Amino acid sequence: MSTLQIQAAEVRLGNTRVLRGIDLNVAPQTCTALLGPSGCGKTTLLNVIAGAVALDKGSLYWGEQVLDLPAEKKFLPMNQRGFAMVFQDFSLWPHMTVAENVAFGLKIRKLNRSDRETKVKDALQKVRMEKLASRKPASLSGGQQQRVSIARALAVQPKLLLFDEPLSALDAKLREELKAELKLLLLETGQTAVYVTHDQAEAYTLGDQVALMNAGRVEQIGAPERIYHHPRNAYVAGFLGAANVLPYRQQNGRLEIEDIGHWPVRKDFPESGLCFLRREDVHFETVGEHLNGTCLINQFLGSHYALEARFGLSQILHGHGKPGLKPGTPVRAVCDVHKFGFLSPENSYV
Amino acid sequence: MSPHRGPGRFGVITAFLLLGTAAGYPLTVLCLQAVFPHLLSGGFGEIFQPFTEMIHTEGLGQLMGNSLAWAGATTLLAWMLGIPCGWFLARTRLPGKGLARLTLLAPVMTPPYVGALCYILIFQTRGFGDRILGIPEPIREAFFGFGGITLVMALSSFGYVALAAETAFCALPPRLGDAARQLGATRRTVAYRVVFPLLLPAILNAGILVFLDTLSNFGVPAVLGTRADLPLLPAEIFRLVTSWPLNLPLATALSSLLCLFALASVAATRRLTREANGKGERVFQIRRISLGLWGNVWAWLWFGLLFICSTGLPYTAMLCMSLIENWQESGPTWTFNHYNALFRAGSGGRDALTNSLRLSLGAATLCAGAGGYLAYVISRTRSHTRHLLDALGTLPRVLPKIILAVGLILAWNAPWIPLRIYGTPAMLLLAYISIYISDALNFGAASMSRMNQGLETAAESLGAGRLRVFIQVVLPHLAPALGAAWLMTFIVCMRELVASLLLLPPGMQTTATFVFNQFEQGDLAAAMAMATVTIGLTTVVLILFQSISFFRTKDS
Repeated sequence: MSTLQIQAAEVRLGNTRVLRGIDLNVAPQTCTALLGPSGCGKTTLLNVIAGAVALDKGSLYWGEQVLDLPAEKKFLPMNQRGFAMVFQDFSLWPHMTVAENVAFGLKIRKLNRSDRETKVKDALQKVRMEKLASRKPASLSGGQQQRVSIARALAVQPKLLLFDEPLSALDAKLREELKAELKLLLLETGQTAVYVTHDQAEAYTLGDQVALMNAGRVEQIGAPERIYHHPRNAYVAGFLGAANVLPYRQQNGRLEIEDIGHWPVRKDFPESGLCFLRREDVHFETVGEHLNGTCLINQFLGSHYALEARFGLSQILHGHGKPGLKPGTPVRAVCDVHKFGFLSPENSYV
Repeated sequence: MSPHRGPGRFGVITAFLLLGTAAGYPLTVLCLQAVFPHLLSGGFGEIFQPFTEMIHTEGLGQLMGNSLAWAGATTLLAWMLGIPCGWFLARTRLPGKGLARLTLLAPVMTPPYVGALCYILIFQTRGFGDRILGIPEPIREAFFGFGGITLVMALSSFGYVALAAETAFCALPPRLGDAARQLGATRRTVAYRVVFPLLLPAILNAGILVFLDTLSNFGVPAVLGTRADLPLLPAEIFRLVTSWPLNLPLATALSSLLCLFALASVAATRRLTREANGKGERVFQIRRISLGLWGNVWAWLWFGLLFICSTGLPYTAMLCMSLIENWQESGPTWTFNHYNALFRAGSGGRDALTNSLRLSLGAATLCAGAGGYLAYVISRTRSHTRHLLDALGTLPRVLPKIILAVGLILAWNAPWIPLRIYGTPAMLLLAYISIYISDALNFGAASMSRMNQGLETAAESLGAGRLRVFIQVVLPHLAPALGAAWLMTFIVCMRELVASLLLLPPGMQTTATFVFNQFEQGDLAAAMAMATVTIGLTTVVLILFQSISFFRTKDS
């Protein structure tokens, strides 16, 4: 059973179609990550769920309850949806203290004073901010403000918690810390959530399912591992440059990739098309026959070397290098034929 | 050790000399005079006597009460009129917003005392109101009293509140409202729990500025307060300085009281501004609501009514008065004679106009030039020197003009001044510069704060000297702000009333004193003709300036 259901959602802003038919279900007690580059419509989709943007076509349900159904002119205002949102810019009310910020939603829900105080304390404890309850937001650091913002949303125990790039305004170290904390918090509270981000690592860490969006559409939706290992199309495979996408052809009992090399035939692949190859599955050798490529860059990244090599005139292959490999050195690509994945061109909207 | 050299010691000394002469010296003499009443005749006796006299003056409580109540009531009314305008402009999709904003700016071009004079023309016995409608006596009485004086002042200041409110509404991140709506708040709860408290500092700030402006306004109390039999502080100080028996010490004591109110208001705004700031500088996308047909009609009625009251009615009265020869039972007969008289060679009106033009051109040019250099020096000076210069540069802007004018009389009339400046036209030029240099400085300072100091360092690192850095790097950056400062100074000098009345040499007139004196002497038509010419002239200069800068920005 899924709780939040979005069907064929479309939104126009002026002449641009920001959402071009989105289908998405969010199951209870799971987190769905909306991942994509800026301008892909992920924030608009979040605003549609929140009720800040109305659908032009399609439908939005919470269980049996209609949230947004433009065909019947039904729209539930955002203050009646019972969701809560955590914003990228924190959006804490500067004239209220930390505790007052967290208590706001509880006051609206007409909780009595003692219940309210308990819940405020609980929520602040969850994000380890109980000591700063009487401070004003302006005196807190960015990370602390975002913790308060999370506590404010959690305190009302919303049916659905919406995150709008909550970690983007924080520095790298803090982002890592808070990401892990958030994951734990979501697991502990069993909170249903939708999480918008442009950061792959955040989406994979926090999302039980990840919806990769592009140009107003969902390109692929599924568990992080599934998306990573079985991308549906070139866009998903190439998102953030995580994989090499290469045209191939099978003939004479070989799978051939122009300029790079040939491997035993893959029976499960069609005669020709696009395949992808993860960077970590490609290695480069400097000894042996057929050194048909040239190393362009060999960059030390801590855990490994990232090597970029050119084959033929313009074929570029990314993979893992090794220490001491200098630019200009002839190389050859080494990889297992089973690591190749096939990309169906029909699945691509491009 | 900073590699940056800045304006150097020469700049700092020049700044001290300039600001010291313009503001420091006259204000010091004023304060000393209030403490030592015999200072100017060289004695230090009867210390604090003026304050004792002030405390024992009959009606002092009422005088202060009147002034504060008037300023308070004006502020309230300006809020009531201005805040809705600000909301319409910031948060709705009202068609024709540019025009609406223009109707708010129009009253700024009208000096408050001219507005008051025009309203007198409408409301006085056998005035325009009586001729056309017949004003019932209770309404007339209300107008020539607390109500009228409040209304006139509020109509001249609500535009400022409206524009400040618009800025505040726009600076409010809509996300803060969304966050509350998300948690279940209704629009009303959002309005009073989130929007209102966040707007409060800005609105209070605008209110305090209106309060201060009203409290220190001289023209309206002088014109309308005297007719309403409502003594108010500035008019009372003026009376003590100009009418027999003169009482300079008491005037300075009252001035220091007025100073105190002014400085308290400024301290309050500083505090509020600090509280209001600290939020982001980011630009938000503001969601604007549609009012619907009837909403738009109501909004436009609101703007229209305010425009008619603040500008339409007074200007019509002013124009009619200046064009009417006489008004019989059959109706008015029209004439251009009053204007002809104004421009006739050798006439008092023509002299007044020439004087004002000369003085304003001189003061505007000197203020803009000196203000620009001062802004540069102050913004690039570190340490305590800067705070002192800052304070000296701010005082003339926040203190009532009448106080500065009284200070200037005392300071340049003192026995130790070797040059005879007092009683010559140069005195008036000095007064205009003393009063308005801090406004010009303010324009320059705002522009300097947006200028990256790296630009100067870059020039210096390539070997440019101080003068070259200022002229070739700083000045081009400051130019637009100084242009605006020049224009503003020119406009306000053309209509400057209180300093002109107090400091003019005998037999010399400016446009403002001409309007004031002719009206007091009963030549209403001549007064109104001069008011029309002055307002027309300043408006033409303003439009000329706007179109020049418009075409310039279009080219580049």
